Amino acid sequence: MVLEVRGITKRFGGIQALTDVTFQVGKGEVFGLIGPNGAGKTTMFNIITSMFPPTMGEVIFMGKKLTGLKPHEVTEAGVCRTFQNIRLFPEMTVLENVTVGQHCRTKSGVWSSVFRTGAQKQEEKSIREKALELLRLVGLEELQDTFADNLAYGQQRRLEIARALASDPKLLLLDEPAAGMNESETKDLFDLIQNIKKLGITVLLIEHDMPLVMRICDRLIVLNFGKEIAQGTPEEIKNNPEVIEAYLGREEEEDLA
Amino acid sequence: MILEQLINGITLGSIYAIVALGYTLVFGVLDILNMAHGEIFMFGAFMGVLVTNTLKLPLIVAFLVAIGVTAILGFLLETLALRPLRGKKGVSHLAPLISTIGVSIFLENLAHHFFGAGNHPFRTSFSEMSFQIGTVTVYAVQIVIFVIAVLLMVGLSFWLSKTKAGKALRACAESLEAASILGVNTKKMITTTVIIASVMGGIAGVLVGMAFNSVSPQMGLSMGLKGLAIIILGGMGNVKGAMAGGLILGLAETLVVVFGESGYRDAIAFALIIIILLVRPQGLFGKASEARR
Amino acid sequence: MLAELINPYYLQVLSFILINIILGVSIYITLSTGQLSLGHAGFMGIGAYASAILTLDYHMPLVVGIVVGAILAGIVGLCIGIPTLRLQGVYLAIATLGFGEVIRVLFINLEGLTKGAVGISSIPHIGRELVKGLQDFGFKASMIGLKNNQLISLSVFLLLLIITLLIIAFFIRQTNSRVGRAFAAIKMDERAAEAMGVNITYYKVLAFAQGAMVAGFAGALFAHVTAYISPADFSYHRAVEILIFAIFGGSEVIWGPIFGAAFLTAMPEILREVNEYRYMIYGVLLVVMMAFRPQGLIDTQMIYKLKQRRKKKGVS
Ligand SMILES: Nc1ncnc2c1ncn2[C@@H]1O[C@H](COP(=O)(O)OP(=O)(O)O)[C@@H](O)[C@H]1O
Ligand SMILES: [Mg+2]
Repeated sequence: MVLEVRGITKRFGGIQALTDVTFQVGKGEVFGLIGPNGAGKTTMFNIITSMFPPTMGEVIFMGKKLTGLKPHEVTEAGVCRTFQNIRLFPEMTVLENVTVGQHCRTKSGVWSSVFRTGAQKQEEKSIREKALELLRLVGLEELQDTFADNLAYGQQRRLEIARALASDPKLLLLDEPAAGMNESETKDLFDLIQNIKKLGITVLLIEHDMPLVMRICDRLIVLNFGKEIAQGTPEEIKNNPEVIEAYLGREEEEDLA
Repeated sequence: MILEQLINGITLGSIYAIVALGYTLVFGVLDILNMAHGEIFMFGAFMGVLVTNTLKLPLIVAFLVAIGVTAILGFLLETLALRPLRGKKGVSHLAPLISTIGVSIFLENLAHHFFGAGNHPFRTSFSEMSFQIGTVTVYAVQIVIFVIAVLLMVGLSFWLSKTKAGKALRACAESLEAASILGVNTKKMITTTVIIASVMGGIAGVLVGMAFNSVSPQMGLSMGLKGLAIIILGGMGNVKGAMAGGLILGLAETLVVVFGESGYRDAIAFALIIIILLVRPQGLFGKASEARR
Repeated sequence: MLAELINPYYLQVLSFILINIILGVSIYITLSTGQLSLGHAGFMGIGAYASAILTLDYHMPLVVGIVVGAILAGIVGLCIGIPTLRLQGVYLAIATLGFGEVIRVLFINLEGLTKGAVGISSIPHIGRELVKGLQDFGFKASMIGLKNNQLISLSVFLLLLIITLLIIAFFIRQTNSRVGRAFAAIKMDERAAEAMGVNITYYKVLAFAQGAMVAGFAGALFAHVTAYISPADFSYHRAVEILIFAIFGGSEVIWGPIFGAAFLTAMPEILREVNEYRYMIYGVLLVVMMAFRPQGLIDTQMIYKLKQRRKKKGVS
C-alpha cells in the first residue's frame, strides 16, 4: 500500500469535518475522493499533508507515519498536492514557480549560491532543465516567462500540477483540478493524469466532474458530511443506492436544470 | 508610603487604561493597530498646555478643546490614512500599520515644529492642592484623574452595551460584513469609532499633563507603546482586558520606581509586549483560538 | 584638479548614503520573507555599541570590532527570530518594536558599559586608522596631492563603497538562487511554500538573522564613521527611517531599498529647506505610498520590463 488513512477524525470547534475515515491506496492507482461541497475532502488533503493535525487517527505513507510531521517533511517524504483555490506564487514567472517545487530535491545553500560553486551552477542548470521538461508535460512551455498571475484559469491549474510534480512525488494529491476548465481543457487534463499515472505516480483525486472521475479512477471513496458512505470501483459506486441518493442523484438534478 | 505609591499606581494605571481603550476600540472594529494613537494623545496634552498655560483659561475649556482637536485628528486619520486602504485588492495586512506609523511620525514632528522639543509645564490651579488622610498624602489631581477615568470607562461600557449605536459598533466588531448586511452604516460606524478612540486619547492627554506637570512631543511614542503593551496584555479588542491591563501596568511601573530602578520603568511595557506575545499571544484575558490558516 | 574635487563634506554625505544603503538592504532581507521588523534600529545599535566598546575599552583592532559587532547582532537576531516565528504580521512588528525599545533603554541604563544617555565619543575613526596604516607603509596624502583630511574622507568613502558593493552582490546572488526563491515563495504564500517542501522555519529565521547581522554591521560602520554614538541614534525614529527606505523605494527587488536609501538620504542635502521637515515628509510618504503604491517605486514588474527591453535590444 502506498497510502493508508486510518480512522481519521477532524473537528473544527463545533464542526465535525471528518468522522473516522479509513481507506487505502495501492501503488499506481488513481484513487478518487468525491462527495458534495463541505463533505471534508479538502480537509482530508490538509491532514494527509500535515497542514494541520487530525483530532484522531493517523496517516501512513509507504510504511512511514506522516501524522505529526511538518508539511515540508511530508513533501520530502514524497507526497505533494495542488490547491482547490489555486495558490501559485503570483509574482513569480511560470518557470520560477516550478523551480520552487524542486526545493526539497536540491541542496544549494547560501554560500554555494553566493560563490557560485561548480556544483551550484550544475544544480541550477538541472533545475531549469527539469522545470522546462515539466512545463512541456503540462503544455506551458511557451509561457515560461509569464507571471503566474497573468495565466488563464486552466493554465494556472496545470501549472500547479507541474509545480507539485517538480518535487518528485510518489503520491500526487489533486484538489479539483478540472474546476473552471472547459471541455477541451478537461480532456487535456484527462490525458495529463494518464501520463502521470504512466510515470508510476499514485494519484489521489478530488473532482466534481463525474464523467472524468468515473473514467479515470481505479477506485473511489465517497464522503458525505465527513463520513464514508461508499468505497469501491466506479461500477460499484455508480450502482450504490446510497451514493445516488446523497450525491449522484443531486448532481443529475443539477445537470438537468 | 506604600499606600501613597499604590495611589500613584492606580492613578497612572487608570490613565493607561483610557489610552488602551482607544487602541482596543479601533482594533476591535477594524483589526488595525493604530500606531498614531499615542501622538493623538500627545496632541490632547498639548491642547491642555495651550489652553491653561498660554491662554490662561480654565481646565474645563482645556478638556473641551482637547476633545475637539483630537476628534478632528481622528476624523482626518480615518479619511486620509485608513479609508484609502480599505477593501483595496492586494493590500497587505501590514499596510494600515505602516500608514498609521506614517501619521504618528508626522504628528510627532508637527508638534515638535509648533511647540519645540522640550518639556512644557502644565500648571493647573489645583496641581499643588493635597490633603492628608492619616499619614497618606493625596493630591486633588489624582482624585480628579481617577474620577474622570472611572466615568469614562463606565460611560463607554454603558454606551457599548445599552445604546443602539453602541450595539451597532459591537456588531461591527464581530464582523463588518455581517453588520453591513444587518443594515448598519459601517462607514459611519468606523468613522465614529476612530473619533471616539481619538477623543479618549485626547482626554487621557490632558489627564497626563495634569498628573506629571510636563508635556513633550516624545510622550506620544512612549505612551503609545504602553497602550500597545496593555492591549496585548489584556487581549486585543477586549475592553475589560484593557482596563485591567492598564491598572496592572500602572502598578508594576510604580513598584519598579519604589525599588529604585526608575531607569527601567519604561522598559517594563516593552518587555511585557515581548514576553506576552511569546508566551500567551492571545493576551492574559483572551481565549485561545485555533490558529487561522 | 582632483584635489579640488575631493570635498570632505560631500564625501561624508556619500558615506552616510552608503551606510543607509546597507541598512536598506538589511530591512529588505527580512522583508523578503514577508516579515516586518521594527527592531532594526536595535540591531544596528548592538553592532555599533559592541564595536565601539571593543575597540575603545578593549583596544581591539577595528576589523575585529566591526565583525564581532555584526555577528553579535546576528546572534541576537537569531534569538529574537526563533521565538517570534509563531507571530504573524502585525504582532511580529510590535514584538520587534518592543525589542528595539528594550535595547535602547539598556543602552541608557547600562552606564558602566555604554556611558548612558551621554553616549560614547572618540570612537576610533575608520578613515584615520586607514590613513595611519597607509603611513606605516610610507604612503602620504601629499604624494597624490591631497590634504590629510581629504585622504581620510576619501579612504572612508572608497572602503564603504567596496563593502556596499560586496554586500549588494552577495544578496543579489542569494536572491537569484534556491535560497532566494524560497524567501520569495514564503513571502508570497507561506502555506503554499511549506506544501512545496520549503522549510519555512529555517528560511524565516535565516532571513531574520541575516537582516539583523547586516544592520549590526551597518551600525558598527556608523560608529566608526561618526566616532560618536548615543542611544538616541538607535531610537524608534531610526527604525522607521530604515523601514521607509524599503517602503518608498520598494521591497520586492533589492534595487528598491537601495534607491530609497540613496534618494532619501541625498534629498535633504540637495534641498536644504527640506531637512527641517524631513520626518514630516517621511510620515506623509508612508501614508501616500500605502494608499497609492504599496509595493514601493521600484517593483518586480518594472525590473522585468527593463530586462525584456534589454533582451530585445540584444536580439535586434
Ligand atoms: N480551517 C478550517 N477551520 C474551520 N472549519 C473548516 C476549516 N477547513 C474546513 N472547515 C470546515 O470543514 C468542513 C469541510 O470542508 P472541506 O474539507 O473544505 O470540504 P470539501 O473540500 O469537501 O468541499 C466545512 O464545513 C468547512 O467549513
Ligand atoms: Mg474542497
